[in-house]
Amino acid sequence: MPSATLLGQAVVSGLLAGGLYGLLALGLSLSWGLLRLVNLAHFALALLGAYLTYQLGTALHLSPWVAAIVLVPAFFGLGIALHLLFARFRVTEFTSLLVTFGIAVILESVIQWFWTADYRRYETPYASASFKLGPVFVPLLELFACLTAATLALATWAWLRFTYVGKALRAAAEDPAIAGAFGVDHRRHALLLSGLSAAYAGAAGTFIALIATLAPSQIWAWLGVVFAVVIIGGLGNPVGALLAGFLIGMSESITMAVVAPAWAPLVSFSILIGLLIFRPERV
Amino acid sequence: MMRAALALVVLLAFAAAAAAAPSGQPIRIGGTLALTGPLAPTALLHKIAGEIYVEELNKANGLLGRPVEWVLLDDQSKPELARSLYEKLITVDKVDLIIGPYATSGILAAMGVAQRYNKVYVHHSFGMPHLAKYEMHFPTAAFGPEPNKTVPTTVFDAVAATSKPPKSVAIVTSKFPSAQFQSNGAKEVAEKRGLKVPLYLEYEFGTRDWGAIAARVKDANADLLWIGALGLDGNQLLEAMKKLDYTPPRHFHLFPAPGPLVAAPDGKNALSVTVFEEHPPFMNNPGAAKFVPIFKERAAKANVPYTAIETQVGGSFAAWQVLEAGVTATKSLDDKAIGAWLRKNRVDTIIGKLRFDGPNNYGDDLFKVKQVQDGKWVVVWPREFTAPGARLQPQ
Amino acid sequence: MTERVRVVVTLIAVALALACLPLVGLPAFYESFLYLVFHWIALATSWSILSGYAGYFSFGHGAFFGAGVYTTTTLAAAYDVPFLVTLPVAALVAALLSAGIGAVVFRVKRLRGELFGLLTLAITFVLATIVLNTRLDGGPGVYLSNVPLPRLVGSPTGTFYLLALALATGTLITAYLVTRARLGLGLYAIHDDEDVAEVEGVPTFAYKLIAFAISAGVAGIAGGIYAMYVSYVTVGDTFSVTVPLYVVLMSVLGGARHWLGPAVGAALITASLYTFTSGQQAILGRAIVAFVLVLVILLLPAGVVATVLGWRRRRADVSAASATGGAEARGGSSGDWRTRGREAASQSEFGAADPPRASAPPVALQCEDVWRAFGGIQALRGVSLRVEPGEIVGLVGPNGSGKTTLINVISGHYTLDRGRITLGGDDLAARPAHEIAGLGISRTYQIPRPFAQLTALDNVAVAATFGAARCALGEARDEAWHWLEFTGLARRASALPHELNLHERKFLELARALAGRPRVILLDEVLSGLTPAEIASAITLVREIRARGVAILFVEHLMRAVLELSDRVVVLNEGEVIAEGAPREAMRAPRVIDVYLGKTQAHVVA
Repeated sequence: MPSATLLGQAVVSGLLAGGLYGLLALGLSLSWGLLRLVNLAHFALALLGAYLTYQLGTALHLSPWVAAIVLVPAFFGLGIALHLLFARFRVTEFTSLLVTFGIAVILESVIQWFWTADYRRYETPYASASFKLGPVFVPLLELFACLTAATLALATWAWLRFTYVGKALRAAAEDPAIAGAFGVDHRRHALLLSGLSAAYAGAAGTFIALIATLAPSQIWAWLGVVFAVVIIGGLGNPVGALLAGFLIGMSESITMAVVAPAWAPLVSFSILIGLLIFRPERV
Repeated sequence: MMRAALALVVLLAFAAAAAAAPSGQPIRIGGTLALTGPLAPTALLHKIAGEIYVEELNKANGLLGRPVEWVLLDDQSKPELARSLYEKLITVDKVDLIIGPYATSGILAAMGVAQRYNKVYVHHSFGMPHLAKYEMHFPTAAFGPEPNKTVPTTVFDAVAATSKPPKSVAIVTSKFPSAQFQSNGAKEVAEKRGLKVPLYLEYEFGTRDWGAIAARVKDANADLLWIGALGLDGNQLLEAMKKLDYTPPRHFHLFPAPGPLVAAPDGKNALSVTVFEEHPPFMNNPGAAKFVPIFKERAAKANVPYTAIETQVGGSFAAWQVLEAGVTATKSLDDKAIGAWLRKNRVDTIIGKLRFDGPNNYGDDLFKVKQVQDGKWVVVWPREFTAPGARLQPQ
Repeated sequence: MTERVRVVVTLIAVALALACLPLVGLPAFYESFLYLVFHWIALATSWSILSGYAGYFSFGHGAFFGAGVYTTTTLAAAYDVPFLVTLPVAALVAALLSAGIGAVVFRVKRLRGELFGLLTLAITFVLATIVLNTRLDGGPGVYLSNVPLPRLVGSPTGTFYLLALALATGTLITAYLVTRARLGLGLYAIHDDEDVAEVEGVPTFAYKLIAFAISAGVAGIAGGIYAMYVSYVTVGDTFSVTVPLYVVLMSVLGGARHWLGPAVGAALITASLYTFTSGQQAILGRAIVAFVLVLVILLLPAGVVATVLGWRRRRADVSAASATGGAEARGGSSGDWRTRGREAASQSEFGAADPPRASAPPVALQCEDVWRAFGGIQALRGVSLRVEPGEIVGLVGPNGSGKTTLINVISGHYTLDRGRITLGGDDLAARPAHEIAGLGISRTYQIPRPFAQLTALDNVAVAATFGAARCALGEARDEAWHWLEFTGLARRASALPHELNLHERKFLELARALAGRPRVILLDEVLSGLTPAEIASAITLVREIRARGVAILFVEHLMRAVLELSDRVVVLNEGEVIAEGAPREAMRAPRVIDVYLGKTQAHVVA
């Protein structure tokens, strides 16, 4: 039986790792839930953001936080451009999956063209910083990623809940025809949401650059777990995505600590399957 | 008049060039590499090495006086594609010779093709020697026939010779087949040597969250940490442990991406294994003095972050050297003759002397132990291969 | 020779011709290239049997492929079972796995569309984790070099080629026959509206299960062959996202609803993989393939095959129109049915006005003390009523009084909480909706719910095939034609529902309800939204139906029609019967006037 400290440590690091899952899931969940677009390119955008953070940091010695200030608005624009393409061709929920897969592969090629396929690692002083809270250690960077995810999730939730644009977006997701009849300009709102979703990908990218491995094919490494988070959290539900990230992060981490690391996916995906079968109305 | 003179000069220039350069129909050597997909990071290095080797061959006298052309295809990290592309190279492109793809799965998938067409099959990155049964395959990943025994033995020998020999070893390994194969062997070897193994963990290839694994390693607190890692796994595990305020007394990395580990602050004193580093005595090996600067230049031009030659690139050059040696010695492109010659003779390569007369055509385990010291990799074991002035740092 | 025989014979002939290829002495590469083409044809075509036809998008094809890979691997490497013997076992294991999954998942109504896709993807990951951590693999991979490969022809590559060719041909024939069978029609109906399909009599659960098992079984065999082809099997390569992603891409590129679509997509994508294998342009090549894919999907969202067929049809229509002076021939999505419709059309001119089938003996519908609640709302509180053969009973009541709920309960769309519903001697309560349809109850929807991608003729043919009439497929079309004529829609037989106006869609609902040869028809506001002239013709139609001895339960707000048509009226309010009897008397009962006062008084007075 593992010690209490080990278990506590596993819970904390799982929770924080889950924050990053939640951050990645956020944009995906929004565009899927509210625009009915399954955006596989989201992962490629996040990795592109990570590479750009790495590039700005290593070539121009820009701190990652400064880089984020540059990148997040740029990604907002990129998101809008992508949505204009989808809108122009009336991409449906299903074809969006394929079109964005193609875009993801193109982005993967672009990344490989500029940065080669070789592994990159962005060394920063933050990478291994942490502080002690009782017997367990809390890694700073992950904590910051987690707080960012929580802030964005709550802000997005409030935005959808309390503002006109947010309400209009939710109404349009429920029934586009009726929302249109009430004079909702869905097109402009959709552009805004796509921009936001891509901006979140950029923000996630900054943290990926600092925390994770950089290689072009890593685009696909996040796919399974983040999709699980999106579904468990409920489509279009920002806070749900965050909480689901925590759930998956912790369940994987505890499995790794108590059983064996290689069994971790079994637990997280079993949670997903169980939820889908026993609580489908939850999604 | 002027024009005629000019023509004459041009003609003479051509004639001079022809005398130095190889001539005739090019010899075509076919192969694939995983230039896209998950294996692309390392395959890229093999591509650069091969291009350099072929260019250098052609700058000299080619092979048998004929120029050499490398027909390189992208197998997209897919073994089924590697297999059928080798069939294409042999039956459609009708290349004269073949050279192996990158990584175990692809090499094994194409080995059957080589066998059916009786082609000499030199390859540079095969991790599971007991699986390679073809009599004309020639590996330059110089693990010897039982790397799961010999590689851990070398590593444990090296650390045992220091002032504070470890009494326990924690083993954490990727489930990537070749890494798991050697790490599993390390567990057996360690137990046989009386080392305690308080932790043996296997994680999925592609694990992202290292916190829990780090916590377990810290909990086990062994004298030596063996990481059966690929790519950046080792870096990430070290970082995760640092966040728990834990630095393992010693840490060994099986197949790390060499550059990032050197650059990482946590990579200090990291141990690994290698067949080549850019210092004596390796620099005295055939080709080393020539290839090291060219590779550095080419790799930098290709935007590769780590430009030193080590195991992967060393094995790649060695593969070309073995193929060249076989052709030159038999003065033919006949696979049977080349294969027979290679089985009987040693080839002196950039990574050392290779022989192919042992079980499954494997010879000696040429792997040495290296360590990150002062921001670069240096060989620290066995003693006759250590870098000038270097010795294994105990902690 | 019927079309069916012709296509199957053609497929077999082409396959036999291709089977001679190894004898020609082509370089072995072409065999291995074609092996991969056929491998992907089998995988993509099998995927589309469930996911394309029925619209249940599975991202779990990799799980069944992987189940096949590891079945063959384990049996052949660890238990020395001959390779060819392992293949049917691989199919069986994969099919059983899918049936097990389907038996659980297909019962959950919400698990459609993308949720089903993600569920199957999660199952793939779970399966991969199990294989990776158990003796099936454990991590190092399994090498099959010691497994003997039977020599069908000279070279091993030729053997793989022939195996994959046989599998691809078999899969294509299966897919073709499925689309031409009840199963295919049922799957198409499920694709468009599963709830309606079930109420029309399609045994949706069984059909999905069968389609899933066929689909997975083929993937299992493909996996078994593939295991031997690569000879070194690892979890990473087997369960990667390649298989589930590629089969989707191929099917959508070619067109997932047509039996030949996925095969075309598979051939195109596999060929493009080989076009860009040059080592110098590897990265660029990958980007180009992706770019072309994006373009094709944006420009031809229906897939290559459907688009090409569309062009051909349009051209044929133009020439036909110029020849005959403008025959209406607008295309449905399943083109095969369209031509049959035309044959039927010419046939019906020979006075085939008699129905091709006799109805079952008439019986009465009886509801006794029917209760049904939704959450806290009691929608039906002990409703009892009876409809005799040849009787028209009007069911009226204000909005929310439970009329449509009662229809939904009788037709089996909702289960009842308490009470009994019988048709003749048969108790309907415990039966699934499709069995209730089979016993002879059919219904219309207040807002028409036609199958959106089937032609009007096919919409009706679904009911003829799966309703009480139980027509064989060939007859179903004649039957459907008969009812289209009966409702005056024959002219629009090959139109898609979105091309029909509201009146035509309402009549299509009627035609569909009648084509099942029901003993009881539940009409849910068939008249609402129609013009006076249309209402008059609809009323005539309902009388004609009654004349055939059918019992009619008739929900309507339009009081004039209720009074004119009904033999008897049942008034519902808040889930209870508050009055019953001859139309005018029942409507004048004091409680009824109370309920209606101020709301629809005008109608009552009228």
